[in-house]
Amino acid sequence: MTDSQPPKLTALGKIVILLFVAGCVYGAWVLLVKKPAGAPGGGGQAAGSGAAGAAAGSPAGSGSPAAPANGGGFLGFGGGDGNAVEIGIAYGTEKERWLQWAAARFAETADGKHVKVNLIPMGSLEGAQAVLAGDTRIHVWSPASSLYKDVFVQEWQLKHNASPFKREENLALSPMVFVMWKERYDAFIAKYHEVTFKTLGQALAEGSGWEAIAGKPEWGLFKLGHTHPNESNSGLATLVLMAYDFRGKTRGLALADILDPGFSSWEQSFERAVSGLTNSTGNLMRDMVLRGPSAFDAVVVYESVAIDYLKNAEGRWGELRVDYPKRNLWNENPYYILDTPWSSREQREAAGKFLDFLLTEPIQRQSLAHGFRPGNPAVPVRFAGSPFVDYQRFGLRVDLGTVCEPPPAEVINNLLAGWERAHASR
Amino acid sequence: MRSTGRCRPRVENLPPRRSLPAAPALALAALAALMALAAITACGRGASSPGAGAPAGGDGGAASRPRNPDALQLLFTYGSEKEDWIKEVTARFNDGGFKTAAGKPIYVEAVAEGSGESIDELLSGSRKAHLTSPASAAFIKLGNAESRTHTGKDLIGPTQNLVLSPVVIAMWKPMAEAIGWGTRPVGWSDILSLAREPRGWAAHGHPEWGPFKLGHTHPEYSNSGLISLLAETYAAAGKLTGLGLADVERPQTAAYVSGIESAIVHYGSSTGFFGKKMFEKGPGYLSAAVLYESLVIESTSPKYQLPFPVVAIYPKEGTFWSDHPVGVVEREWVTPEHREAAKVYIDYLLARPQQERAMQFGFRPSAVELPLTAPFDAAHGVDPKQPQTTLEVPPVEVIDAVRKLWHQNKKRSQITLVLDISGSMNDEHKLENAKAGAEQLITQLDADDTFSFLPFNNRLDWAAQGVALRDARDKALATLRGVFASGGTALYEAVAEAYDYQRRLAAREPGKISAVVVLTDGEDTDSTLKLRDLLAKIGGGSESQNIPVFTIGYGRDANRQVLEQIAAATGARFYVGTPENIRSVFREISTFF
Repeated sequence: MTDSQPPKLTALGKIVILLFVAGCVYGAWVLLVKKPAGAPGGGGQAAGSGAAGAAAGSPAGSGSPAAPANGGGFLGFGGGDGNAVEIGIAYGTEKERWLQWAAARFAETADGKHVKVNLIPMGSLEGAQAVLAGDTRIHVWSPASSLYKDVFVQEWQLKHNASPFKREENLALSPMVFVMWKERYDAFIAKYHEVTFKTLGQALAEGSGWEAIAGKPEWGLFKLGHTHPNESNSGLATLVLMAYDFRGKTRGLALADILDPGFSSWEQSFERAVSGLTNSTGNLMRDMVLRGPSAFDAVVVYESVAIDYLKNAEGRWGELRVDYPKRNLWNENPYYILDTPWSSREQREAAGKFLDFLLTEPIQRQSLAHGFRPGNPAVPVRFAGSPFVDYQRFGLRVDLGTVCEPPPAEVINNLLAGWERAHASR
Repeated sequence: MRSTGRCRPRVENLPPRRSLPAAPALALAALAALMALAAITACGRGASSPGAGAPAGGDGGAASRPRNPDALQLLFTYGSEKEDWIKEVTARFNDGGFKTAAGKPIYVEAVAEGSGESIDELLSGSRKAHLTSPASAAFIKLGNAESRTHTGKDLIGPTQNLVLSPVVIAMWKPMAEAIGWGTRPVGWSDILSLAREPRGWAAHGHPEWGPFKLGHTHPEYSNSGLISLLAETYAAAGKLTGLGLADVERPQTAAYVSGIESAIVHYGSSTGFFGKKMFEKGPGYLSAAVLYESLVIESTSPKYQLPFPVVAIYPKEGTFWSDHPVGVVEREWVTPEHREAAKVYIDYLLARPQQERAMQFGFRPSAVELPLTAPFDAAHGVDPKQPQTTLEVPPVEVIDAVRKLWHQNKKRSQITLVLDISGSMNDEHKLENAKAGAEQLITQLDADDTFSFLPFNNRLDWAAQGVALRDARDKALATLRGVFASGGTALYEAVAEAYDYQRRLAAREPGKISAVVVLTDGEDTDSTLKLRDLLAKIGGGSESQNIPVFTIGYGRDANRQVLEQIAAATGARFYVGTPENIRSVFREISTFF
């Protein structure tokens, strides 16, 4: 009790103090020297400032196909001027990377400083429905093709008794293609000699799948994918091509052709075997590359989308092969400047300026890098570095077979209704 | 040193520091001191918190609470299969200064759960997550169908795949070779006929390997379990596509499924746990298990001392992809701001650095520009050019019918509950809550299962033995409710007694899952039996007579180390129980049966 010794540090106390000092030094080091773990992939920047990422652009084959849009959001470009006119473009996601690149370039021009371009990703048919429903964000509708144009115009006129368009031009062209895994393509050709909707239908109808086609039971059933015809333009184009193929014609597809019981029952058996319905052509192609032949032996997509993924597929499952339907359709990627009650003269003019910019030679040339054929005929397609030259070994070719006439609105509507019935019977 | 290691993720998970202004050295030192203290405090929490052993859903958070009260907090629930990857990259996200367009910092709390559990919680609203990522799109499909029935709209919006991994049959290489792997395509039908073969491995010239033992998880809780079940049903129907209600209802299908399920060792909710146990305990414990390819890659980790390599069998009839879709929850608690932040986080997960990291965890990246290189090779037991075909996901009503069929034909269980009723269980309503938790176990067991009950303090008094729940579930519940707390703790002797009893039962009825579940809140105080002898007894049985002893350390005073040893000796699992989480702990344990 007479203990007058000064207090001593215990071993634990020493450790605590040591840890404390080490903590101080470490903390100071962290704050002064070490940057926070970076935000990879453009991290750290505020959401919605994706323009910078898009502006970086990327040539074909060197970048990655854009991840599908997550719905809801859109990207805004330009409009640095405080009085900028704001326009919204509802566009099919197949040309997302090219449009984002172009919008970022436009923002750097004199015209672009006065225009804010909002790119709103939407399925082609979804965009039409949004305009019909009065979506005031949209001043330009740019679907993948003009296939649904007549249906849209008819419905618009019923409501407004006027044309919905002020001006229209084609931005870039892309035909439909079949994409198959090379090994399976070779086996398919050995059996059926050509890829048509009829031979695809035969393969789908084989009860034992690849066992009957090529003596390869381990490849499972034959699996074909196309997009949802009621939501995606490429799905609708697939239906039109099926009908033309079945009828053996290239123009004048009429109601009688598609209401015929022979076509209906063939379509039903075909569609019963189709898998992987999605509303985005890019997603379908991406899924094929991700899951390989286990998910799809063949898909029907745009040529531009196929080009985007040809190189990537090699690092995953192997080589892809592109083939062209004997009867084809152009997807012209039209740009419709809308004449709607919510669109002002300034907005229509601004939309026109952006359109003119898109049709200029450098921007059109860049569309090639994204797998499109330029809408401006003055821009060449065959040159060193063009995918149409570099990717010939995958089956790409510039010259198409016969291009079919887009059918009238009533035929489109009935094709879609017929598909709904076929799909419901699954 | 160990505690420092445990703490590191917590420190990394603190909210962003990038926006801190430059400050004088003194202030920095003071701040650093605070950080060091925060680290020490966090260590303390880590050491005593129910961490590693807690069941999925209990403490799967990737990060601690944000220090910045202005941060927008996103709650992200995800399938526990990808926990290691998500934890690591989310910690980096939280530290990376990500913000909304309005400049609000984003903070993600990521919680690992069973896929079925996360969907159930969203449907009931019991956990209000803003975005979710189960292991497969099948769960999104089921959740959306259920939601449309009740609300007319989907539960989860459009999705994107984060990573992919095919479902495979993981098997020891010599066993796989014995059934023809490497020389011919092998499939579900080969595995399933082996499961139905009474002679076991002897039918393939290897009597020394004993019976064929198969593992798959519980189909109602886990994606791989559901997938195994669908594959079984396809094989039973002899189909590759178009599985319909008529196929499921055929009596032959029931007989087939029942035959396969007889080879099951036990079920469970975590595919990762199955993989880990298979790699730790070797071929005597499991001949094969339905796992993800990513786990086969994990088996090559130096942390496992495998007697033989494990290989992935990609079934010739086709398999399913675990595609890890992520989507925003379509419920009123998700604001436009949450949606915006969710997109930033999803874009981050899909960006190249995070996708490259996923490959190192054995997942196939969804970034298509990344080629599949090592570890996707034969040296890691997998083949990047497989699978060659897939099975079709049947419609929702068929999946429901398949699950019902499984309930009728699953392997039956005989379970003993060993419950500590020593005096200390009176504190903090511990016994009351433990009883409520144990009721979950009794309720979740099937009618054809049997239940035994050994409450103990310093005495062991069997309250029920071999009660058939079909006739006496209410009686079993009443017996459980009737116990009260007093006396000491003869833990080791109680475990030994229950173990011996279950061994006798297992010998009498070898076709059932036999297991012991032990709950205790303290140290052994009254046994003459030593821990060493107990461990030798329960761990020394032949593999075919192994009785798993699941242990729950309940409350602060439970001896975690001892209980972990008891569970590990029998290939079972240890859980941290609290009066708050004890119901979910028992529910989790019930998924093994």
